[in-house]
Amino acid sequence: MSRFLEVEGMTAGYGAVTVLRNISLYVDHGENVGLFGPNGHGKTTLLRTLSGLMRAAMGKVRFDGQDISRARPWEIVGLGMVQAQQGNTLFGEMEIAETLELAAFNRRAREKAAANLDRIYTLFPRLAERKRQKAKTLSGGERQMLSIGAALMCAPRLLLLDEPTLGLSPRLKEELAEALRAISQDVPLVVVEQDVELLLALSNRLYLIEHGEVQREIGKDNAPDHQEIMDMYFGEHA
Amino acid sequence: MTRASLLFGGLLVLAVIPLFVQDSYTRHLFILAFIYAVIASNWDLSLGYAGLFNFGHLVFFATGVYTVAIAAKTLGISPWLAIPMSGVTAAIAGLIVSAPVARLKGIYVVLVTFAFGQLVLQLILSQSHLTGGAEGMVRIPYLQIGDYKFISDFKLGYYYVALGLLIVSTLYLLWVTNSTFGKSLLAVRDNEDYARARGIWITRQRVLVLTLSAIFPGVAGGFFAAYLRVASPEVLSFGTLSLALSMVLIGGAGTIIGPIIAAFLLIFATEAMAGIRGMEDARFLIVAIGMILVLRFAPGGLAQLVRAPRKKP
Amino acid sequence: MDTLISTLLSGVVLGALYALMASGLSLVWTTLGVFNFAHGALMTIGAFVAWTVSEAVGLGLPAGVVAGVASAALLGVVVEYLLIRPFYGRPNMLLITVMTTLAGMIILEKGAQMIWGARLKQLPRLIDGEVSIFGAVISAHEALIIVVAPLILLALWQFTTRTYLGRSLRAVGQNQDAAALLGINVSFTFALAFGLGAALAGLTGVLLGGIRFITPSLGAEPLVKAMIVVIFGGLGSLGATVGAAFVIGLAEAFLVLTLGLYWTPFALFLGLIAVLIFRPNGLFGRV
Repeated sequence: MSRFLEVEGMTAGYGAVTVLRNISLYVDHGENVGLFGPNGHGKTTLLRTLSGLMRAAMGKVRFDGQDISRARPWEIVGLGMVQAQQGNTLFGEMEIAETLELAAFNRRAREKAAANLDRIYTLFPRLAERKRQKAKTLSGGERQMLSIGAALMCAPRLLLLDEPTLGLSPRLKEELAEALRAISQDVPLVVVEQDVELLLALSNRLYLIEHGEVQREIGKDNAPDHQEIMDMYFGEHA
Repeated sequence: MTRASLLFGGLLVLAVIPLFVQDSYTRHLFILAFIYAVIASNWDLSLGYAGLFNFGHLVFFATGVYTVAIAAKTLGISPWLAIPMSGVTAAIAGLIVSAPVARLKGIYVVLVTFAFGQLVLQLILSQSHLTGGAEGMVRIPYLQIGDYKFISDFKLGYYYVALGLLIVSTLYLLWVTNSTFGKSLLAVRDNEDYARARGIWITRQRVLVLTLSAIFPGVAGGFFAAYLRVASPEVLSFGTLSLALSMVLIGGAGTIIGPIIAAFLLIFATEAMAGIRGMEDARFLIVAIGMILVLRFAPGGLAQLVRAPRKKP
Repeated sequence: MDTLISTLLSGVVLGALYALMASGLSLVWTTLGVFNFAHGALMTIGAFVAWTVSEAVGLGLPAGVVAGVASAALLGVVVEYLLIRPFYGRPNMLLITVMTTLAGMIILEKGAQMIWGARLKQLPRLIDGEVSIFGAVISAHEALIIVVAPLILLALWQFTTRTYLGRSLRAVGQNQDAAALLGINVSFTFALAFGLGAALAGLTGVLLGGIRFITPSLGAEPLVKAMIVVIFGGLGSLGATVGAAFVIGLAEAFLVLTLGLYWTPFALFLGLIAVLIFRPNGLFGRV
């Protein structure tokens, strides 16, 4: 059986600037994968390219056996790979409930819309309290919850999360982390996260991305200790 | 200054052309090209150079046309005096448009200047006792010195007056763009916030650039009225607008010389098309298609194609 | 009293037409960030096609109305495909599309002139007869405009706030990347916005074709009025656009009554300048 998500030799960037060089990685069925590394080294670009917002200059992406290297964002979402962007304000002038309802846009998601909506309001009671509020009036943490909630409404089969807890207060962060742990139980994740504890709690396997390349793959068998990972975060190992 | 030498080499050629081109129709086309080149290059000062996307330049031109028409015909002022006057009235029109435009951004500049042109058109149409309405004004006094009519000798006099106008206007544009003020225009166009932080007063700059770039289109309009001896609201039509605008775009916005060259190309091309039966209406259509194709495949205009690619600001 | 009511009524008729016209512009603007100068020309084409189908071919007015609206919508999609789509992502897309849609306007207008000629044409009124309202008499056709326009606008509002497709228009207008990541086909949405906007223009053309003569430049004056409306109301929201349309329509009717036909456009423009000096984002625009 093929891998769930497989990236082969991906090179991507903006115009003449190459951000990602020859990236190869995979996600197997039934596992959650974490991406980490110093800021500005290509993690967000990787997720944007996976989602089809950017087109890779070289390389192949296969999701669930299908080649999606040249697929458009909405086709990729239709197949079930969905991304929640970091710090995304989504649609400032739209109400929370409206945004979440809209997010169940593809046919697969519409069938599960009612159930998913209940689940999101249970996961994020703050959103349930603010259903009729416009997105622009929300705090940073609430926007993050809305962003993740909207991604869940797309009925993801694989959820890509880009720094879900970035810049949040400790209290909100804990709230969100709890929800994320619950989500990770039934939706496979690819998660970029700076909080090592949370990253380790959410994922089975890690990739260190540095200078736009996969520097290291860390599985259960070669797991370094906490301090070593912290060092890698800040790029001190090389 | 290779650009300037190229420019004046070209002007020298234009100065001797009447020696070889004797028929009055071809000279007429050259005169039209000179007039449009003045409009397009001055428009470029505000549109391409200052990045102020205004649609006011045909209004300035029309202001000049009607200034001479009314001053020379209705009031009996000599056209030699009325033509410089049209530069003044056009500058005033520029000042008026700049009042609301100076504080606006992006699409609102386009909308207000565009609406301004349409409303001036409405005004011309409705004040028919002054402007002749939709029929326009005819038999406007022509240019002459003593007994010498400028229309005689196959329009020789008009040819050189128009060429002189283009030369003076181009010198003026080169002077403005090379001045400190011209450089501050580029600074604002390329990075408004930075320029603002450096203390460039953008409102004042916009008022100045609109007024300064209105003068010569106005003079050209005044000359146009004395040359053709008619003033008609046709000068504010969409067809004329797209023709002048396409000169700026096809020539290359922000280059001054590009629009001048494009004016020659387009005047001769559209006139050639007008000579073909059934093409009278189609020529503006073809110019419009050409404009889209240039925007699509040579966004910097034709000027971009002939010189080494410039670094993006 | 009669003059007052009939002025009021003609102001409302104007306002209704401007609202239909301007809401199409506003829809395209809020979704794509493009100001469509070809909007007026699309309206002209709608009126001409309605005339051809209804009068020249003789299929009757209802078929003409449908054909007029449908052809405008179709052309709107074509305009988006040929004049807007190639320029997405260009740094100065706003200004480029001003020029391409302006070129599109010339092409449609000259094209209409070559196809239909310059001779005046007129559509029959949608309903014959007259209606008396508080003693003032207007044609039934104008009364129909007063009724139909708000209904269409209400339907448009319901569409953009209640349906998946309509909401996706607003989502794309506010954040294209985020909309794409939720599985919305952004390019389809752009075409949809253009098609809908053009359909509204076509409908305005069909309604106007029963009041005025249809010429290749039929759309020019309403386009300018719609521009005044959107400047006045700000381009942001449908509600502000519709509100501004009725303000302008009524102002125009009363200016015609007091200043006369000649000075009305000028007075409107002066008022506009005054508004812009104090509120650069429009009267109802958010600052």
